[in-house]
Amino acid sequence: MNFHMAWRNVWRNPKRTGIILVAIIIGAWTMLAYCALARGVMASSLESALNTLTGHIQIQNPGFREDPAVENRIRNPAPVAALLDHALPKGSCWAFRVQAGGVASNARNSQGITIVGIDPEKEPELSFYGNATAQGRLLEPGDDRGIILGQALLDSFETKIGRKLVLMTQDADRETASRAFKIRGTFRAEMEGTEKQYVFITLAAAQKLLGIGDNVSLACIRLPGRTGQDKAELNPVVEALTRELPRDLTALTWIDLLPLLKGYLGMFDRFMLLWYLVVFIAMAFGLVNTMLMAVLERTREFGLLKALGLTPVRIVKNVLLECLVLLVIGLGAGNLLGVLTIYLFSGGIDMSFMAQGSEFWGLGRLVVPFVTAKDLLSVNAVIMGLGLLVCLYPAVKAAGITPVEAMN
Amino acid sequence: MEILMAWRNVWRNPRRTILTILAIAFACLVLIFMLSVQVGTYEVMINASVKTRTGHIQVIKKGYNKDHKIRQVVSDPESIAKILDQTPHVTAHTFRANAFALLSSDLRTCAGLITGVDPERESKISNIVHTMRKGRFLKPSDTNTAVLGALLAKNLKVNVGDEVVALGSAMDGSVAATVLKVAGIFSSGMDDYDRSAIQIPLPHFQEVFYMENAVHEVVVTCDSLWHVSRVKESLAAALHPKPPAEPTGQDADQGLVCLSWDELTPGLIQSIQMDLGGGLIFYAILLVMVAFSIMNTFVMAVFERTRELGTLLAIGAGPGRLSKMLVLESAFLTLWGITLGILAGCVLTFWFQHTGIPLGGAEGMLKQYGIPGLIRPRLTLATALSGPALVFIITTLTALYPALKVRRLTPVDAMRAV
Amino acid sequence: MNMVDVKEVSKTYKQGKVAVHALAGVSLSIAKGEFCALAGPSGSGKTTLLNLIGGLDTPTQGKIFLDNDEITGLSQSRLASIRLNKIGFIFQSYNIIPVLSARENVEYVMLMQGVPARERSERARAVLDDVGLAGMHDRRPAELSGGQQQRVAVARAIVSNPAIVLADEPTANLDSQTGQGLLEMMARMNEERNVTFIFSTHDRMVMDFAHRIIRLKDGLVAHEQIK
Repeated sequence: MNFHMAWRNVWRNPKRTGIILVAIIIGAWTMLAYCALARGVMASSLESALNTLTGHIQIQNPGFREDPAVENRIRNPAPVAALLDHALPKGSCWAFRVQAGGVASNARNSQGITIVGIDPEKEPELSFYGNATAQGRLLEPGDDRGIILGQALLDSFETKIGRKLVLMTQDADRETASRAFKIRGTFRAEMEGTEKQYVFITLAAAQKLLGIGDNVSLACIRLPGRTGQDKAELNPVVEALTRELPRDLTALTWIDLLPLLKGYLGMFDRFMLLWYLVVFIAMAFGLVNTMLMAVLERTREFGLLKALGLTPVRIVKNVLLECLVLLVIGLGAGNLLGVLTIYLFSGGIDMSFMAQGSEFWGLGRLVVPFVTAKDLLSVNAVIMGLGLLVCLYPAVKAAGITPVEAMN
Repeated sequence: MEILMAWRNVWRNPRRTILTILAIAFACLVLIFMLSVQVGTYEVMINASVKTRTGHIQVIKKGYNKDHKIRQVVSDPESIAKILDQTPHVTAHTFRANAFALLSSDLRTCAGLITGVDPERESKISNIVHTMRKGRFLKPSDTNTAVLGALLAKNLKVNVGDEVVALGSAMDGSVAATVLKVAGIFSSGMDDYDRSAIQIPLPHFQEVFYMENAVHEVVVTCDSLWHVSRVKESLAAALHPKPPAEPTGQDADQGLVCLSWDELTPGLIQSIQMDLGGGLIFYAILLVMVAFSIMNTFVMAVFERTRELGTLLAIGAGPGRLSKMLVLESAFLTLWGITLGILAGCVLTFWFQHTGIPLGGAEGMLKQYGIPGLIRPRLTLATALSGPALVFIITTLTALYPALKVRRLTPVDAMRAV
Repeated sequence: MNMVDVKEVSKTYKQGKVAVHALAGVSLSIAKGEFCALAGPSGSGKTTLLNLIGGLDTPTQGKIFLDNDEITGLSQSRLASIRLNKIGFIFQSYNIIPVLSARENVEYVMLMQGVPARERSERARAVLDDVGLAGMHDRRPAELSGGQQQRVAVARAIVSNPAIVLADEPTANLDSQTGQGLLEMMARMNEERNVTFIFSTHDRMVMDFAHRIIRLKDGLVAHEQIK
């Protein structure tokens, strides 16, 4: 009955109701769409960062993070391998790596690079290494003379598949070590910087170059699917690993490894809240105004209702109910439009037209907008909660109308 | 009297008028503030990049900015310097030469980018000299002396007075090696740069890498960002009539080019465009939001007064006069809102321009892009007025709807309305 | 010399799907200086006829001449200018502009006519004094009684010396004493200024004042009486 009355009151002035509904719909819609885009951007930067050799969790020598030098290596990898083979959640993958800074050179050019020794069988599922071979092929197990480098690096060395490239670095005895490798293939990465920074050789070749026997720099772990994006998902795994890990090693998550990225993503979250607030305020002016008009032009009616014995609380309730009707219709349509928009772009938005710009911000080339249930909830909660809150003003105004005042 | 009438009409419903004015002011405030923050950030980013790295303009061998190959040299830089000395708006210029090398200290080896600089002239262009953390910058009398980035120093575990061995490839492909003494450590604030950069005097560089008198970059700064394109044009014109610099090896067919900072760091300008694009979408949404938020006020201004408007029509006012009256009324609202918004927006922006906006957790991340921990919005005439101008356009369009609609009103129908 | 000539005018409204014949072929003439009442029950077509003569509405058929100029078929803006310069209106519910004071309401018409400010002010004062509102020139409508508001409306209607004043049930919202005062004042204006007045009314008292009564019934002239 109350609802019925509110519904009819809302539609007494269809044009006015229509206009404010459009405002609410646009508000909800754009909040969702913007949120989805931001989520997509965040996921894309995270994915691209994790893919660029970070993984979800790394097992390292505690000194390695500060000083990624040969000394700070895992000197006894066998127990780590045994542990990782049984302790990780199902669907995870992991591999050892050797990592060292060095210089690559040929007759044409020389450039600083990072040498990465990898397990040719396991690495492809772990990082971008396996994603996009531009030319040639990936390393095969036992191919200790082969090297894979980024397409951009290959171009700047003016060389091609099959030619030689000399790597120079400092070995475990602090002597300069160098060796020639044959280019087997090139990879494409989302960022040109990545293509120019990393060269891949086999684990065994890297161990030999550095003179470290069977030692490795780190073990990189990837958890299955979309898990591993926040602390709650990472911590149980890290705890389980730490319990059995040799004393002299540590397990670090991407949040530890990339604190800057975490901070950046946090800023994004705060910015989004700010955005909600700004859009809401812009909408609230219209909402309050419309409700105020609706209330004041019915002064007589409210006076009459009061004369009939309606308590002020009931009047407040009635007005808020009208507000609720507006908000529910607006939110319903807004959510629908929002979800539809996200669905339309679910194939991803190609950012490659801005390749260098997105690289600058650490974005991948494809951004897929999406929202989480939490986002949906918070958008609706913001509009609904704050919407009812600001409507209290016209509601209280209506409740304050006295019968005498109304009849004049 | 018409103005008086519009003014009184606006205040017939003070609550509604105030809410509408506030909505317009709010939109202006947000736009002014956000635009100023964006502009302030871009300026810092551009200046950081220009001052530590690229300068405003560089004369280089075509393609050097892409490949950084040691053979892509400017073989007669002095002749370009002579041109630059006579080019207006040029404040300073210097030569640089770069090469990748393996740097080794007693304890560590890592790759670095050695840059040969002219100590005296470099200090007029680059702000590295002002960011020395330890020791001193290079002096003209130095030979095998180096200054290096703080993160590089940390990685190499070296300090002022220590020695660093550099090993690289010279211009002719032979091995280039030198022992450098660390004279100072700088921290430019751009992590990427501080992790790899080492600077030595240009003559020593040319000697070690067999460069003779050649350099890689002639770096130019101008008196303002706005003059860059003009300087670039006149410089390019001065370079062009001459035959390409003396033939050196097989690259003789490639001439010199003149590139501005945005061409040297395309990522920077694209990232700014991207951020600006994102911002524009944001602003568009906000404007549409505000338009619908205030539209009811304008619609009601007609709807509630249909009878009165009918009377005016009956006593002989033409439809044009009514439209004019309504436009005048909305202009009052809009102008009030915009004035208030500009005032509040400028005060807010000005305040933050002085105190800065702390970025909390994102500080470190943004430092990578050359954005310092505090963002300072920058209030300019453009940022203060372009937002409100947009608001003015959108509110006027919104108000135009009822103002045009009133033209369809007939006196009989209007006076019959409630 | 005829001020108004109505020739075979009919007017049909569409009310939903039903066609309502408000006027079904009315012809009449009103001479200059007449003080004339259109009488009849509600729905007889008197307000419609008044609206048509005033150029507020256009007839479905027939022709209307005002001061010997045909006004049927003119554009809205031409009609607006005729209303402004030749016709004064007085409405049942006063309809004076609420944001303007009594004097400003009167001046507004002259403003639209392009009368210079000083002359506007002088004429407005004179006519307000004339309709009996001396000392109340600067009051807003909310501060005036119904009778006083209607006097402002009369002042507004006659200030620019129109050819004709059309008054739609001017006394319907007033008590009889106030109504009589108003009518006496209008009759005086009719005499002193030689302004033509046409009323629509079903008020006995108004008809008593009128020199000529035209009775309408079902959209036709049913009876005419000249005193």
